Amino acid sequence: MAVDAFFEGLSIATTPEMIMWLALGLLLGIVLGALPGIGSPVGMAIVLPLTLPLDATAAIILLVAIYSGAMFGGSIAAILINAPGTESAAATTLDGYPMSQNGLAKNALAIATTASALNGFLAAIALILLSPILIEVVLAFGSPEYFLLAILGISLITIVTQGSIVKGLVAGALGFMISTIGTAILSPRPRYTFGQFGLYEGIDFVAALIGMFAFAEMMKLAARKKISEGDVEIAGSVRDGITTVFKYPVTTLKSGLIGMGIGMVPGSGATTSTFVAYAEEARSSTKDGRFGDGDPRGVIAPEAANNPTVSGSLIPTLSFGIPGSGSTAVLLGGILMHGLQPGPVLFGEQLQITYALFISLFLGNILILLVGLTLIPYASKITELDTTLIIPMVIVLSYAGAYTLNQNWWDVGAVIALGILGFYMVRNNYSIIAFVLGIVLGPIAEENFFRSLQISGGDYTIFIDPINQPLSFLLSVAIFLILFGPFLKGRVERTLGRN
Amino acid sequence: MSNSESIKRKVTPERIMLVTFLVVSAVFIIEPVIESYPDDARVFPQLTAAAVFIGSLLLLLQNYLPGPVRRFVAESVSITSSEDSEVVDQTETDQEQLEDTEPEAEEYKKDTLGAKYGFEVDETIFMVSTAVLYFVAGWAAGFLFVTPLYIAGYTLWFRVNPVVSVGLAVAGTAVIYLFMTYLVLPFDQGHLFDFSPLVPMLFDGAPILLRGGL
Repeated sequence: MAVDAFFEGLSIATTPEMIMWLALGLLLGIVLGALPGIGSPVGMAIVLPLTLPLDATAAIILLVAIYSGAMFGGSIAAILINAPGTESAAATTLDGYPMSQNGLAKNALAIATTASALNGFLAAIALILLSPILIEVVLAFGSPEYFLLAILGISLITIVTQGSIVKGLVAGALGFMISTIGTAILSPRPRYTFGQFGLYEGIDFVAALIGMFAFAEMMKLAARKKISEGDVEIAGSVRDGITTVFKYPVTTLKSGLIGMGIGMVPGSGATTSTFVAYAEEARSSTKDGRFGDGDPRGVIAPEAANNPTVSGSLIPTLSFGIPGSGSTAVLLGGILMHGLQPGPVLFGEQLQITYALFISLFLGNILILLVGLTLIPYASKITELDTTLIIPMVIVLSYAGAYTLNQNWWDVGAVIALGILGFYMVRNNYSIIAFVLGIVLGPIAEENFFRSLQISGGDYTIFIDPINQPLSFLLSVAIFLILFGPFLKGRVERTLGRN
Repeated sequence: MSNSESIKRKVTPERIMLVTFLVVSAVFIIEPVIESYPDDARVFPQLTAAAVFIGSLLLLLQNYLPGPVRRFVAESVSITSSEDSEVVDQTETDQEQLEDTEPEAEEYKKDTLGAKYGFEVDETIFMVSTAVLYFVAGWAAGFLFVTPLYIAGYTLWFRVNPVVSVGLAVAGTAVIYLFMTYLVLPFDQGHLFDFSPLVPMLFDGAPILLRGGL
């Protein structure tokens, strides 16, 4: 079945129409990723409602292509103007910008393109090879496990973002709570609508995503001046940059593995993986490293880690519906908006779509290499845009996109309200990823919560029964350890220290 | 420190946000009881609202909590280590945030049309206010007619070259027109004013007018 699905996926992904969406998404992603303050989540959130007329596969390929392209695009601004286009490119600034100042901007951009595309290409192959194992794992999960996975995802995000755990939990629970506005899932009863007919369908999660990512981001951007303050000169050699990547095969492969491994952990993401890859490279090259002064390995490591993180993060997103970052949260929104269900459906009856996506990722990395290397001489143009021109256009697209979803003015209002909320949440260290995950996964979590209780006859021990539900029990233990482990560990260490 | 200064220090955006969470979650808990929601429509939202209520209350009162509970509420934690975590005093954080944001605001002052006439507005407040006005005007008169005014107004306020400003306004209106045409959305109709009869004259007639002019 998997082999048939693979070949069906291959035929879908290689149609001219899909390649066109892939190329368009990559180009859009590279440009959006290169604009500091925009990045992939904002770009994907704005494009999401526009994918409504497309078929599900084309829409998901377009979104993943934007995500993948933005990962590379983020490095352009990081290298040329020391302002990472995306958070994941922050580690690239450490050596990319000094290389640019040393007259090696072209080398640094070519290194970023080659390392990013090469490892993205290898990670896509790994993803295709891993999928038969994933299918087995996904099919072992039932309703109680899916409910607990949503809680586990929020708990993990809370802990990985390293803020106050209570803030993370409040953000996640608030997302769940807002997702319950509108007609109830299991009985046709309107909830929290206060007589407003426009609220019967609830607040569309895509509108919430647009608000949280696009509107809130524009509020931040409003206080910034031009992205680039002066003229950027691009000097150096593209060819030398490409050969540099092949001079350090261990760095490239090791960073790729780090990227994919960290990407697979729900709640982490490319920001973590790129810094870990950079730190590991700096640690293992202490003898001859000039890290911070323009060492090419300081560009290879984070860039070789970022695109495999995309492949890695697709594993929990597609198999369990747990996104690891803002971009994968928007991608999950797209998957659900187009009527696809992460988990058993995407790894069962619609396996061909999953394979088409993986193959597109593989093809996308070849395109990144071609487009990226061609774009290098013109890269600085993107960074010269004025934020004053970007903001009103993003607002216009956000409102039009939100209205397109259900032709409901409440969705447009939600963009503003949740945008302002998102702005203050970020300012005060509340995880907006946990909040967004709560909104996106709310209906799935509620449905599985009730199905579980129906199975158990209303008995809540179904979530912690080690005999009849061992997987649920393990997930509950994992949630407990994630939330309380650090405190228990601290207490045990203090007690042992006293003795 | 005077009373008003002390109150001003305590009323931070985070505290306003937490009080809002408390009120909204209380509504989510009480509403199903008042309106007699069935169990399958009531339990999940009430459970999640209870989590928001308790969490917000703990965060709001963290400085008055006993030691271990306070540590749980305020500590930054990590899966890998508990050694570098620390309890943060909320009052200190608020003060630090205030101090942090002030120079930043100074650094990013933009040249605006208002500033030319001695009328200065914070960029973020201006952005949000104009976005809200755009939403209200779009609802009242239709996005198609309000969009060029919004884009031109916003960009001219920041003293963008008028030609670029008009070009952007035309591009934004074209985007709305494409949405309206291809996704069949009523962006030419407002809830208070209906300018839709102008559409054929302004848009469909434009190519004819252009041809005639040429």
